[in-house]
Amino acid sequence: MKALDNLSFNVYPGEILGLVGESGAGKSMTGLAILGLIEAPLSISRGKIIFNRQRIEQNANAVRGSKISMIFQDPLVSLNPLRTIGEQLVETIRTHIKFGRKEAIEYAKSLLEEVGIEQERFDAYPHTFSGGMRQRVVIALALAPKPSLVIADEPTTALDVSVQAQILELLKKLCRERETSIILITHDMGVIAETTDRVAVLYSGTLAEIGRTVEVLNNPQHPYTKGLIEATPRIDANSLNSKLYQIPGVMPDLKEIPVGCPFHKRCPQYIKKCVEIKPPLLNERAACWLLDTENGIL
Amino acid sequence: MVLLLVALVSFIIFRYVGNPVDNILGQEATMAQRAALEDALGLNQPIYLQYFDFLVSAVQFEFGNSYRGALPVAELILSRLPATLELAVTSAVLGVFFGITLGIYTAINRGSFISNFILSSSLIGVSLPTFLIGVLLIWIFSVELNWLPSFGRGEVIDLGWWTTGFLTMSGLKSLILPSITLGLYQMTLVMRLTRAEMLEVLKQDYIKLAYSLGLTNKQIYFFHALPNILIPVITIAGLQLGSVIAFAIITETVFQWPGVGLLFINAVYYVDIPVMSAYLLLVGFAFVIINLVVDLTYLIIDPRLRDNQLKSEI
Repeated sequence: MKALDNLSFNVYPGEILGLVGESGAGKSMTGLAILGLIEAPLSISRGKIIFNRQRIEQNANAVRGSKISMIFQDPLVSLNPLRTIGEQLVETIRTHIKFGRKEAIEYAKSLLEEVGIEQERFDAYPHTFSGGMRQRVVIALALAPKPSLVIADEPTTALDVSVQAQILELLKKLCRERETSIILITHDMGVIAETTDRVAVLYSGTLAEIGRTVEVLNNPQHPYTKGLIEATPRIDANSLNSKLYQIPGVMPDLKEIPVGCPFHKRCPQYIKKCVEIKPPLLNERAACWLLDTENGIL
Repeated sequence: MVLLLVALVSFIIFRYVGNPVDNILGQEATMAQRAALEDALGLNQPIYLQYFDFLVSAVQFEFGNSYRGALPVAELILSRLPATLELAVTSAVLGVFFGITLGIYTAINRGSFISNFILSSSLIGVSLPTFLIGVLLIWIFSVELNWLPSFGRGEVIDLGWWTTGFLTMSGLKSLILPSITLGLYQMTLVMRLTRAEMLEVLKQDYIKLAYSLGLTNKQIYFFHALPNILIPVITIAGLQLGSVIAFAIITETVFQWPGVGLLFINAVYYVDIPVMSAYLLLVGFAFVIINLVVDLTYLIIDPRLRDNQLKSEI
């Protein structure tokens, strides 16, 4: 079984790349794979993960935390409940940066300040914080070792809508200041539109479409991307009482990914070739035979 | 409350089990002799009065005289208590220490040959009855190898209010076999619990976050996972310490360890009611104290419980 198959993309310094797709498309798996956190019985059988010209797929230890860190979905369970946030920050800092205790505490407090938490809360336990505040702590933790890439796995899914925007803004601001790249994993096209520079659309473990966010959203090339955009709820006068578009069917189970394009069974525009051969990424944009104009598909 | 109930039960059961008068005087005593003895022992008073007397004196640590030895029960138990406590504490410490260590080891190295070996041999610890383990150990280490003594406490040093076997070579040697016998079951239990809890905790998001932050395995296992398994482990270990004290009876019998358990067995044999009820009360008391300590350690470990505590006090 393949959870991710032939998926390839780049992240450039300082950019925010969105990974979008339905549940089970392989978004989180991608994030975990980059950090070498895939657990048995799964493993990376093939492929390369290259970071700063070095392959890291077999020794992610070297970059974990220090160069690449991760933010998880549910801040309520992301922090160790038995230790103060200060302890957890200082621990992470001192693991990666040669700081004395005092320096580490100073640095931890300045980080707290930056993510919008009063320094007095340094000795507080996680349960005394709200979800949004805890996600701020997690962001401070993830940024503490000064990584050059942060993988944010649905960082705002578990939060209130009003808090979501704050957290995304904060993450964006802090990473821009530090020139840290972000891989933002989400299923929310709205979040993609507001936050990311480029977006990669994942379907069933493969890349469906990739490109600059503006272009992909305004002029989607892959039928799946079109469907995702259609299916995004809007709040405006026209959409009142109108029924929300749904992509028909469900994503195939990993055990029975069809031959050809994995999306063809749900695709409104599929052609014979889609059933037979899996499309490669065409025009450096989308994996869809409809773009294959040279060979005269129709 | 718990203690009152235990006291009631121990009082009632032993009031109706056997008749001490028969035992002391034998079958051929005259009615007058029996009546005189019943009078002296207070057995002819109404039940509730007997219970009340029992409670009042129990609070004063006064359990009357042993029917058989005619010694004060309190004195008898106190003289035996150090032996039992030393044995129980040693085996509990050994059991908890090795239990947690091996539990963590087998959780971390899941599926490795050594882990599987430890796990399957731990089944022996769970399934073999204590007395059999004791007898086996005696056979191997005392009879065949002749390394360690098979019975008694060895030389003890009298500290006035306490006698200890910790300070002499023969005392320590005598302690080894009984404490292994008594601690083996606790160890396997704690080990399996630790392993299960550890596997559960290692799946948590904060462990994933700790990994993704690049913390070392040592940091993750000991500072993030271990504290989070302590509450269930301490709960069980505490309950087990109680049972270790209570069920030291068997081990003490096998090794002729001069502790309270052995005293109790002999008391049962001779229907020595005051000794038996005092022993039951003592065990109940130990359970209550241990549970109190366990509850207090919860507060030390978990800040969330601490805060609830503060809130409920305000």
